[in-house]
Amino acid sequence: MNGAQPIPHWRLLAGVNGTQNWRRLKSAVSRSRLHAFLMGLFVVGYAWLAYVLFHKGLQFTSSFPGLGPVLIERMMFLLFAFLFLLLLLSNVIINFTNLFRNRETQFLLTLPVPHQAIYRWKVFESGILASWAFLFLIAPLVAAYGATYNAPWHFYFVTPLFVALFVVLPGILGSWAALGLARWVDRFAFRVAVVLAVIVLIVAASSWLQPETVTDEMLETRVLDVVDRLLARTRFSLFPFLPSYWVSSGITQWVEGALMGTLFFGLVLLSHTLFFGYLALTRLGGLFYGALSVVSSRGGGEAIGWKFWKHKSALAQAPFAPKLLDRLAGLLWWGRADTRALIVKDIRTFLRDATQWGQSLILLGLLIAYIVNLRHFSHQLTSDFWIDLTSYLNLGACALNLATLTTRFVFPQISLEGKRIWIIGMAPLGMRRTLMSKFLFSTAVSMGVTMALVGASCAMLTIPPGRVLYFTLTVGVMAFTLNALSVGLGAVYPNFREDNPSKIVSGFGGTLCLVLSFLYIVGMLILMAATSRWAFGGSSSSVFWLGWALFLGGSFLLGWLPLRAGIRKMASVEI
Amino acid sequence: MIEIEQLTKQFGDLRAVDDISLTVPAGEFFVILGPNAAGKTTTIKVMAGLMKPTSGSVRICGFDIGANPIEARRRTAYVPDFPFLYDKLTPAEFFRFTGKLFGMEETTMEAEAERLVRRFNLGEFLAKPIEGLSHGTRQRVAIVSALMHSPEVVVFDEPMVGLDPHHARVLKDILREQADAGVTVFVSTHQLSVAEEMADRIGIMHQGRLAAVGSHGELLAANQDNRLESIFLTLTTDKA
Repeated sequence: MNGAQPIPHWRLLAGVNGTQNWRRLKSAVSRSRLHAFLMGLFVVGYAWLAYVLFHKGLQFTSSFPGLGPVLIERMMFLLFAFLFLLLLLSNVIINFTNLFRNRETQFLLTLPVPHQAIYRWKVFESGILASWAFLFLIAPLVAAYGATYNAPWHFYFVTPLFVALFVVLPGILGSWAALGLARWVDRFAFRVAVVLAVIVLIVAASSWLQPETVTDEMLETRVLDVVDRLLARTRFSLFPFLPSYWVSSGITQWVEGALMGTLFFGLVLLSHTLFFGYLALTRLGGLFYGALSVVSSRGGGEAIGWKFWKHKSALAQAPFAPKLLDRLAGLLWWGRADTRALIVKDIRTFLRDATQWGQSLILLGLLIAYIVNLRHFSHQLTSDFWIDLTSYLNLGACALNLATLTTRFVFPQISLEGKRIWIIGMAPLGMRRTLMSKFLFSTAVSMGVTMALVGASCAMLTIPPGRVLYFTLTVGVMAFTLNALSVGLGAVYPNFREDNPSKIVSGFGGTLCLVLSFLYIVGMLILMAATSRWAFGGSSSSVFWLGWALFLGGSFLLGWLPLRAGIRKMASVEI
Repeated sequence: MIEIEQLTKQFGDLRAVDDISLTVPAGEFFVILGPNAAGKTTTIKVMAGLMKPTSGSVRICGFDIGANPIEARRRTAYVPDFPFLYDKLTPAEFFRFTGKLFGMEETTMEAEAERLVRRFNLGEFLAKPIEGLSHGTRQRVAIVSALMHSPEVVVFDEPMVGLDPHHARVLKDILREQADAGVTVFVSTHQLSVAEEMADRIGIMHQGRLAAVGSHGELLAANQDNRLESIFLTLTTDKA
């Protein structure tokens, strides 16, 4: 009875997953047309705005005779070198999740589907998931590059082909790395390795990225020498064994009309893609199954070799004894015990979820790296205009960063607590106090971090103390508003059916929260800069205070109204 | 036929399954009982090929699950305690998908699916997205999809969870019919009544070992007791 002509597994899997994704898209559109419209607007808006800005930037750069083309070419090499690195990291993470933490994979393993077919499908799926967003982000830049050099029409067909071949390589390497990690590195070893890697990276970057003093005299008389020293730091992107070098060379040579050069690099890329692709698609299914079995057989998260690291856990010794966090929370004498317990639970959940603290660390780390580097940059800022502009941009960068974090982590909190309604909602604490405690806690933490960052950025720019106070207070108020907006909208638009916070955020409420946060930041930044007493021409005292009053009033309203709506919604919520 | 030989499965320091040997012949309805964390689900996962044994082997219809997994799985119907289903598909589409994965003929697939759908009263849900179905209905969908390729071995982990009394009865009847028709049925459950009523043989697992194996009557006789519950409690509590 099982004698039908077998349909290739990839066709069945592609069909079923394609249908799933298409229906997801359709149901998202039909559920909220406004949401779909906002998403569409964002996609088109980003593509258009990014293209215009990149085009203008490239045109400006190319206007420097001799230097422009060199800088632009190096930028392309750097773009693809970093793209390769990001794609590799992204592929490692997504392949790991998709191969070893995915329910569909577990389901397929119980069916008569060869391990090789499952591995092949999951690597393909992971490659698409890991790459599409990066490709969307760089597409306007590559298009602007073509437009800057008046590339022929076929450039826009050949380039996607090159990029398509290129993304296969980090996809396959990422899947191999994921297999290796799963097979050989347990959770504890992975954490230690990540911390060590971050330390090594910081040390390497700080020794490699030493600032060089460039005097006005050098800029006047030895421009080429200065540029050469600058470009020396980026020479790694010209390493000829990097796939990014092949794709960059192919694209840049196509624009220059060196078609044979492009053909050569295209063939190099194709041969590597075919070779590694063949290995991945035909040989690694067995390794995948072995690694999967090791992952599912791992007990407690520690390998034998790490046991000397393990201290006798307090949990095993005295499971109910208060831990450090409980003791620290006990110091908050004014808070109620149930509120403190909720805060401790939230901190523990955050710290034990590598996705949450990892993403926060990356966002804040980038901001800290930027602010620390301001001390080198600020020597060049001799004009008040640039100092003022930079200080307001710092405020904006900090607030935008905060908005990303509040939307990503604070907004889904109420939806996630709704899942635990049987314990939190039924406790005397109630959802209203739950909501308020989350708001106050997230506000306190984000105020502390953002005010410290803005204060540090002002110190790097050697701004007078009065203005430092002005900027830190401003970002403090913004932290209040952004957290209130996220908590409030999170309660007004809860999603109690979803466990995954990133899926909760991608709904209508999350999108609205992000859009409102960004509009608020941009609007308030313009207001504060326009009514500043010292910057951009300066305003009168009355205009300054009027600006502050509008800022405070607007911030209060945009924070309080959603928070109040959220509290009311929680009072009558049915889960 | 299921042949388990000296099966051991280790998770770090924990030995979840400890040197189990068991043969369940064709046509036998075997029920495995045991307290939580006794090793039932781990044994079943190894049988389904979801993980490799630390040592020992499992053969399904003579095919070693490690050496010849495709042939072993082709003959097996496995439903876990929380089965995965594609949420955006309808049950009809899901049946079609699994039927194709098992290489079923179009006409056979439709006939088998229709027969089982009728038994499990799934007709009204066939064209509705799975995401909107209740837990019990989803469980029924998973069971139909697992049984429709006419397996030689049925391995169900806690299949009664979520089923109402009517559909639990239907499932028990179907499994009994399957066993009578020569299919090997291996079911894990916490419901002692299922074992008493349905099983040809019962295995009681405790701390990774098979504490007792035998027919209902054999177990009662060997333990000089007239209730399976007290035998179960004696065998699994004393050693805890």
